Amino acid sequence: MNKTLFKQTSKSNWIIGVIIFAVMMMYLSIIISMFDPENMEGIMAMLETMPQELMAAMGLTELGVTLTSFVVSYYYGFLVIMFPMIYSIIVANRLIAAHVERGSMAYLLATPNSRLEIVITQALFLILSITVLFLFVFLAGIIFSEILFPGHLEIGSFLLVNLITLLLFYAVSGISFFFSCLFNTTRKSLAFGAGVPVAFFVLDMLSNVRDQYSWIGNFSLFSLSDPLRIVEGDAVISISIVVPLLIALMTYTAGIIIFNRKDLPI
Amino acid sequence: MSIIQVENVTKTYKSGKGIFDISFSVDQGEVFGYLGPNGAGKTTTIRQLMGFTNVDQGRCLIRGMDTRLQAEEIQKFVGYIPGEIAFFNNMTGKQFLDFISQMRKQAKSRTAELVTRFELDVKPKISKMSKGMKQKVALTAAFMHDPEIYILDEPTSGLDPLMQKTFIELILEEKKRGKTILMSSHSFEEVERTSDRAGVIREGRLVALEDVNSLKAAQRKAFIVTVVSSGEVELLQNSNLEISRITGNQVEIIISSNYDEFIRVLTKCSVKGLDVLNQNLEQAFMKYYGREAEKNE
Ligand SMILES: Nc1ncnc2c1ncn2[C@@H]1O[C@H](COP(=O)(O)OP(=O)(O)O)[C@@H](O)[C@H]1O
Ligand SMILES: [Mg+2]
Repeated sequence: MNKTLFKQTSKSNWIIGVIIFAVMMMYLSIIISMFDPENMEGIMAMLETMPQELMAAMGLTELGVTLTSFVVSYYYGFLVIMFPMIYSIIVANRLIAAHVERGSMAYLLATPNSRLEIVITQALFLILSITVLFLFVFLAGIIFSEILFPGHLEIGSFLLVNLITLLLFYAVSGISFFFSCLFNTTRKSLAFGAGVPVAFFVLDMLSNVRDQYSWIGNFSLFSLSDPLRIVEGDAVISISIVVPLLIALMTYTAGIIIFNRKDLPI
Repeated sequence: MSIIQVENVTKTYKSGKGIFDISFSVDQGEVFGYLGPNGAGKTTTIRQLMGFTNVDQGRCLIRGMDTRLQAEEIQKFVGYIPGEIAFFNNMTGKQFLDFISQMRKQAKSRTAELVTRFELDVKPKISKMSKGMKQKVALTAAFMHDPEIYILDEPTSGLDPLMQKTFIELILEEKKRGKTILMSSHSFEEVERTSDRAGVIREGRLVALEDVNSLKAAQRKAFIVTVVSSGEVELLQNSNLEISRITGNQVEIIISSNYDEFIRVLTKCSVKGLDVLNQNLEQAFMKYYGREAEKNE
């Protein structure tokens, strides 16, 4: 890894991370403050006034009754997928394809650093920054909960949900990173780097709408983990761990190898 | 001793364009001009020397190392200017130069000296700089670590005439200090002033590889001679000089190496005006460009 490049990459991308984190915090605080241990019926009644298909698409058909399952079902089914996904897509594209398209990659490669070192540094930035994002979300979840409802959050299962979602995002960012390495234009890199994760996302939402559509979920990366099931302890966790890890390993490795070998029109 | 070696390199793009069976070498301490009009294949060749692309056939070596496989090692002693101006737009000039120095883990630096010399203001953001300013930043980045070898892709593009002169002086100084330089250009004047030898590339093929003096003999210059009478126009027509156009009493004459004869004929006329016509590379080197093109068609 190249420290100078890592610092530079952080400098030009941290603001995107901060914006994404800020938006996520806004929703997180609203959701936690909506929890009312005395009056779950009230929340249910309010939700029933919403269009049921929309609620289902967002994975909100069953709401947990504890704070943990409430936050997890409300927040981790949709918002914690959408915003980190936006982050992965934008940043992955900027890390490689944008440098190639703009030609600034030529300056990086005109220094005594191998292509391999440069692409690995960029990959590490993406992986680490997503890890930090989830670490902050996890900590913020604990802090908000402890302030508003001390002692209600089951930290162990909340951690597990975060870890599994993080692994999912190693895979999602890997997909975007792969296309960023593969293509020389941001147009193509974004078309696929955003297109594939968004398609998974849409399939996952569709599969939630009605039971007879649930088979669609088999084609979606996001249906691999069901946060509420994890909290309730009856999800098959090994699949939610192994499959995203494998996808992440494959996409990052393939992206790195391709970038190391390909022709660069810079 | 050859520092840069290009051996039978072919690189074809999907469009069918590219470079075909290019071979040349640049010796230690030599300045090599790589001449060709836009789209001839200069950048394609230089990308190969920088290890950005894979050859279809042949190989490129710098100090005996493969430019594709050992780029990291080679970049320790190479200074490079890309053909197209491209930067990290959000940095200021200073931030960019510092960043590149750190990427090179560069101990010594003559950045300050170059910045003064090019009258470069490094404080503004690069995205706010003019084309000429950006090119100066690129020049500084290529020269600041005092490399042994320079690979410069159209280094004077975007520079005003004064800065072009400053640049040429710098190249000549580096040459005196024993540096090896490969520089592409579409201006023969620039190559003439800096280089020992030149390669002329046309549509991806090397059509000449000569020292600059013999290239100069092949260069065609157009002069516009204004004479007093139509009788004198006839006199010029009847001479052995190559005449490309006549408008009234103005005669456009093409000269390659027959200056003696040109002067001799002119002394027989009363010349009222004598101008040099600016010509582009293809016009100046009809021998390699125009006529061959005609023959091929
Ligand atoms: N990445 C590329 N893909 C396809 N064609 C290219 C690419 N780069 C250059 N070309 C084509 O190859 C030819 C040579 O280009 P180039 O080497 O850039 O010329 P020069 O630097 O002499 O102006 C041109 O016709 C150009 O359009
Ligand atoms: Mg070019």
